[in-house]
Amino acid sequence: MTRGALRAATGLDATAGGEEQAVAALHSEEGNMTGLHEISHRRDTELKTAVPKGEPILELRGLQKNYGAVQALKPASITFLSGEIHAIVGENGAGKSTLIKLLTGVIPRTAGEVRWCGEPVRLASPNEAIARGINAVHQEVVLCPHLSVAANMFLGDEMKRNGLMRKRAMTGAAQGVLDDLGFNLPADATLGTLTIGQQQLVATARAAMRGTRFLIFDEPTAYLTRQESTQLFRLIRRLQNEGVTIVYISHRLEEVFELADRVSVLRDGTHVGTRLIGETNEAELIALMINRTIEQIYHKEHFPFGETIVETRGLTGPGFSDVSLSVRSGEIVGLYGLIGAGRSEFALGLYGRHPISAGEVYWQGKKVEIGNERNAMALGIALAPESRRDQGLCLNLPIGLNINLPVFRKLTRGLTINRAEEAANADRQIRDLQIKTPSRRVLASAMSGGNQQKIVIGKWLSHGAKLFIFDEPTVGVDVGTKAEIYRLFARLLEQGAGIILISSYLPEVYELADRLHVFRQGRLVASHDYRAASHEEVLAQAINA
Amino acid sequence: MSVETVEGSAAPTPKRGVSILFGLTLLGLLLALWLALGLATNAFWTPNNISNLLRQGAMTAILAVGQTFVIITAGIDLSVGAVVGFTSVIVAWLLAAGVPLWLAVVATLLIGVLIGVFHAFGIVRMGLPPFIITLATLTSLRGIGLLITNGSTISITNEAFTNFSRADFLGIPSLFWMVIVVAIPAYVFLHLSRFGRYLFAVGSNREAARLSGVNVDRTIYLAYILSSTCAAFVGLLLASRIGIGNATQAEGWELQAIASSVIGGTSLFGAVGSVHGPLLGAFILATINNGANLLNVNSFWQRIITGLLIIVIVYFDQLRRRGSR
Repeated sequence: MTRGALRAATGLDATAGGEEQAVAALHSEEGNMTGLHEISHRRDTELKTAVPKGEPILELRGLQKNYGAVQALKPASITFLSGEIHAIVGENGAGKSTLIKLLTGVIPRTAGEVRWCGEPVRLASPNEAIARGINAVHQEVVLCPHLSVAANMFLGDEMKRNGLMRKRAMTGAAQGVLDDLGFNLPADATLGTLTIGQQQLVATARAAMRGTRFLIFDEPTAYLTRQESTQLFRLIRRLQNEGVTIVYISHRLEEVFELADRVSVLRDGTHVGTRLIGETNEAELIALMINRTIEQIYHKEHFPFGETIVETRGLTGPGFSDVSLSVRSGEIVGLYGLIGAGRSEFALGLYGRHPISAGEVYWQGKKVEIGNERNAMALGIALAPESRRDQGLCLNLPIGLNINLPVFRKLTRGLTINRAEEAANADRQIRDLQIKTPSRRVLASAMSGGNQQKIVIGKWLSHGAKLFIFDEPTVGVDVGTKAEIYRLFARLLEQGAGIILISSYLPEVYELADRLHVFRQGRLVASHDYRAASHEEVLAQAINA
Repeated sequence: MSVETVEGSAAPTPKRGVSILFGLTLLGLLLALWLALGLATNAFWTPNNISNLLRQGAMTAILAVGQTFVIITAGIDLSVGAVVGFTSVIVAWLLAAGVPLWLAVVATLLIGVLIGVFHAFGIVRMGLPPFIITLATLTSLRGIGLLITNGSTISITNEAFTNFSRADFLGIPSLFWMVIVVAIPAYVFLHLSRFGRYLFAVGSNREAARLSGVNVDRTIYLAYILSSTCAAFVGLLLASRIGIGNATQAEGWELQAIASSVIGGTSLFGAVGSVHGPLLGAFILATINNGANLLNVNSFWQRIITGLLIIVIVYFDQLRRRGSR
């Protein structure tokens, strides 16, 4: 191989140190790191049509997706260059998932063109995308938890001899790949016994083995520890060196700056720009992503604090220990931490869902034993839980029933429910919260994320409470609804309620909370007054960096 | 990844409208069957045959209503047939021991309540799947009944008791009146009271119901108690009708009850069901059996027809549901 070819192969990246890198990359391809691509014994010939590094490998031209009247993705034209790490950022609901689904053939496009290696392609099915070498690693691992790591890595592509699986050969090969990647994972372990992060790595290795040339990561670090993230990043860079084009979807900008070569921004279904990573900064990206200043979204009103509504002293239960905090009327208390830091567990403990093993709860100055959810509700605690799908809503029941579920007792006259009041209450919440539905009888499952969240909130507004616990209230909610939810907080505070706001999204708790508590590994590790600490400080406390 | 569903354009048809419509379709099917059988055989539209049909359908109908409560919570009660046989033994045994009729009836119903409590205890406290705990009682109760009777039957000599099932009131068999006696409170309970709403909520999402202040455990107790009590009630009716207590009676009735419920639009995944649906389902099944007898269709064929019918009706029901989404 000549130097010229090397230059061509490395393309844009041939800066001062580029040549050595490229040599190393090529060396690794030929030398000890043979692993990934050679394992795959089902490589389609079309996969081998190489696109030189830096040339367009996948081009979107006016790609568009409508759901009925709603434009989930407005005509977007993005070019992905061979061998680059291309980050895509945007708020929840900006169209990122729609874009992935289009590229992986899960949903059909409404209009536009996709060119793969210069040829127009249909991407009509996931199989077509995979056959062309386009693959995705999802945030939530979609593998079989009961099978072994090796079986998962070869799933659908098993090594066979005379129709029988060559189990030992597969385990050996899988182990080879894992070792080669430095993953320190046994290939014969059952997948379900691994952490989510390890499963994510397995999913990535699986995609890498299949002759993937275009790999999409969809918020892969959402559930990973810092160490696991580091491992994943190393793997991603290595895949890049082997010539794989990476699309990295995230809303963690620091990761984008660490990894990506270029970044594209989506906002409300529109592609608003693509930047070289060296030519942009965090402020510009945020401005592109939300098109309004932070102050405009996090409309913070300060209310005078009243009496203490609730106080916990050394509260301990499953997943959290020794948590002492208090909430006053008119106050938002923010709980920040990574997923699994014990914030939701604390909320469920306070709400009586999980048993308390030590510590006390004082409600308006009096010691109380909450014990179960109904006692919590009777005191005046409302909980909008973390997962709308699993904890918040009865999805296959009507909106009206969901809204009224906490208040059926109040709606009962004698033996039966007063149907007029039942309807009136549901309609009132639908109107007040501007839930976009033709009728209270529509099933909750037919609603978008933002409207589902409003249904959950509507439940608790009709019940009424002194203390509202909102656990990740804006996940999967569009920007407009977010602003509505924050305005609602102000309304509740004005009426004298207190709020516990749990969020993994730092700007949200940072800008809204009058007092911010940081959780790490089940413990409350730091507390700050409104804007008293910097983002960096709070983040460092949450991850113990 | 949140599913970006579009509201408005593809919203499902309002739920209550659907269930009324479906009820009407089933009623239409039932009437069509009656018309067709009336044309096909002279023996169908005779007072004797109609009251026979109503008696046949009545017991399945009551079982199906009880079963529906359980299925709405996404559970299943496989024991109802065994409970019918068992309670027929209990009431016969109590009457033979000289217990007054009213006390024997109340005690038998109480046994039904206790069986339901036991099921719910197994599900709520021991964490057993409903399928398993009710399957276990199915076989055990038959065993206990056989032990009590020593494998034979207990005759019932109380004439007041046995006459009841043969009696008419306003020209309608008393057994059918019992369906109405069960159905009206069942309707009020499921469709008009908050406990009915709770059954649906628990069947749809147990955790969401719990966090919304629904006493999930109590709701599950309620569902299984109602199912077993309905079964015990049917046990009384059966004992009255055949004049004996026998633990092996009502073999396979649990499947009849489940089939009636499912034909009536109940979803085995929970959170979908009504009271009128299973009633119609039970009488559709009874009509098919009755008609097949009148037309001299081999009784083996009746079973095959019933099976095919379940597939066809549930298939169309699902098509309709999908179409409305």
